[in-house]
Amino acid sequence: MDVSFFVQLLLNGIVIGVIYALIAMGLSLIFGVLEIVNFAHGEFYMLGAMLAYFLTVNWGFGYWATIVIVTVVALMVGYVLYEGLLASLRGESFERSILLTLGLSMILQNGAVFFFTTTPKMMETPFSYSNVVVGDLRVPLARLFALGLGLAAFGALYFILYRTRVGKAMRGVAQNRDAALMVGIDPRAVSRLAVAIGIGLSGLAGAALAPVYAVHPLMGFSFVFKAFAIIIIGGLGNVSGAAIAAVMLGVLESLAGGFLPLAMVDALAFVSMIAVLLLRPQGLFGRGVRV
Amino acid sequence: MFSRRVTIAATILAILAPSAFAQSTTDPIVIGASTPLTGSVSHFGQHARWGAELAIAEANAKGGVLGRKIEIDFQDNRCNPAEAVKSVTQMLATKKYVAIFDGLCSSVALAIMPLVERAGVPFIVANASATSIAEKSGVGGNKWTFKVNPTDASMLDALIGWLDKAGKAGNIAYLGEDTDYGRAGSAGLEAALKKRNQKLVMVDYYQKGAADFTSVLTKIKAKKPGLLALYAIDADFVNTIRQWYSLGGGIPLTGRVLVDQVPKEIMASGFLDGTTSVQPYDPSVDTAANKAFVEAFTKKYNEAPMLISFESYETINILIDAIRRSGDASPAAIRDALASTKYKSMLDTTIEFDANNLIHNNAIIFEIKGGKVVIVGMSKT
Repeated sequence: MDVSFFVQLLLNGIVIGVIYALIAMGLSLIFGVLEIVNFAHGEFYMLGAMLAYFLTVNWGFGYWATIVIVTVVALMVGYVLYEGLLASLRGESFERSILLTLGLSMILQNGAVFFFTTTPKMMETPFSYSNVVVGDLRVPLARLFALGLGLAAFGALYFILYRTRVGKAMRGVAQNRDAALMVGIDPRAVSRLAVAIGIGLSGLAGAALAPVYAVHPLMGFSFVFKAFAIIIIGGLGNVSGAAIAAVMLGVLESLAGGFLPLAMVDALAFVSMIAVLLLRPQGLFGRGVRV
Repeated sequence: MFSRRVTIAATILAILAPSAFAQSTTDPIVIGASTPLTGSVSHFGQHARWGAELAIAEANAKGGVLGRKIEIDFQDNRCNPAEAVKSVTQMLATKKYVAIFDGLCSSVALAIMPLVERAGVPFIVANASATSIAEKSGVGGNKWTFKVNPTDASMLDALIGWLDKAGKAGNIAYLGEDTDYGRAGSAGLEAALKKRNQKLVMVDYYQKGAADFTSVLTKIKAKKPGLLALYAIDADFVNTIRQWYSLGGGIPLTGRVLVDQVPKEIMASGFLDGTTSVQPYDPSVDTAANKAFVEAFTKKYNEAPMLISFESYETINILIDAIRRSGDASPAAIRDALASTKYKSMLDTTIEFDANNLIHNNAIIFEIKGGKVVIVGMSKT
């Protein structure tokens, strides 16, 4: 077997794995703290990409400024989302949260179709058609930037969760909301911050991937279901587990895609999820403790 | 008391009856349409709608048909046969529609066919390209389905014939969406190659709506085929082309490549030089009717038309022509009128339906040379 073929598949897999992680981490964080499965997560990723497209193409913003603006806007949207919708679910049924986020997903998706049409758009940047080439190996620069942003986001989130007081508070609320309240942690403020960070991450993912994939109202769909499988494989609510599972799945899919028909590769995420649920229901990295 | 009620009812009936009669002869003629307005190919559904609505607006501006305005009701099918069956069944139950237009996706069109046959309403297919639609129509059994665009088999036969003459038909890999459209593409290519003692060297299908194709494209690149036949549309096509370019594919494409949707940077780079494609239409076709269509479409929608918009526009014009010739706009009369269609196409040919209710218009063969799309031939399908 040609070594460069194998290494190219491995490289592709690592990049796509980090892309999966960027989307799955926010989903995992929100579930970890609020126990809400956010079915609208893919739509926030799509809206992040749409905003990035309009900022660069229509309003002439540069790539890095766009990344910052979209992430900040997404953080604010997350804040409003929590206060406007999710806070009302406090103590309510899990089913209600599913219906609410599914409904929100439909409204956002169809709203995007109405306002932006379904025409696929490409966010052009100065490096859209540039590649890093080493021998027979090629990686597009836009993917490398997305890879770097994904790693930076993971590092920042890890730092917040494990090296700051607010992170400790988030982990406390995730483990036992009532006990956290008894020791003086405000669960509402912590939950609000978790949703803001989670939606902020999906916005960042949208902006980072807008130069990589076609931007259109349904772009969230293809990733979000895979992200659900990833957070289950990694351990529901375990952010680090989700990130590691995402990279593992990306590499596995890419290597399998080099040798197997695509139809079988598409099933890998869900076959893995079922296998994990059967053999280790708490997930590969789950310890019964979320976040 | 009883006779008083009867008198009141009779009076109301007498007042309403003439107006009801008048309504039936002056009301608009309504066409039902099922197309993906949401979902992964909704961009094409949008163009199908625009093309159809432009044709209807032009007909209404000229006074309509049989003294009545024409309307079209669009129902979303998400390119999902189950959704289409639900919405078309509802439309047919109202008995309001004189014909059903399109479906766009081959799987959807195939699902609608038995419904229109049972209801006795003409179904006119503009965009769905699966060969089996024509095989099952006319002498194939379904007398109510008419297909205006060429089948994949006929177009691909024309393309492979052209490639074979150039000695390029011997080493073709195939990548297409896992739908009736993608499966019809590989079947059409296999059939055309078999006639010339060749076969596809590799076949793979992807799930429609997938965003990342890097692993399968890396695999195809490593196999070093002479050509890659690509059956991808909408966002899938944009993603595939971008990723093929990023991986430095180095192998020209063929099949139903949407040459008008290739990003201009990639086209201008010469990366796709040697790529061939067969399509029933191109906006650059040099006829007066096409130029007028492109101008009117672009003016109205601020976007250039594409294949789908052309097919929908021309199909609705063929349907309007049949409604006019039917005399009474009844479904049965429209079906008979469709069967005897002789219509001057924008591609400068006179088209009519064959025994399988299929039109054989010209197919256009394109090649990308020096970063530009060139029409290298027209072939009757």
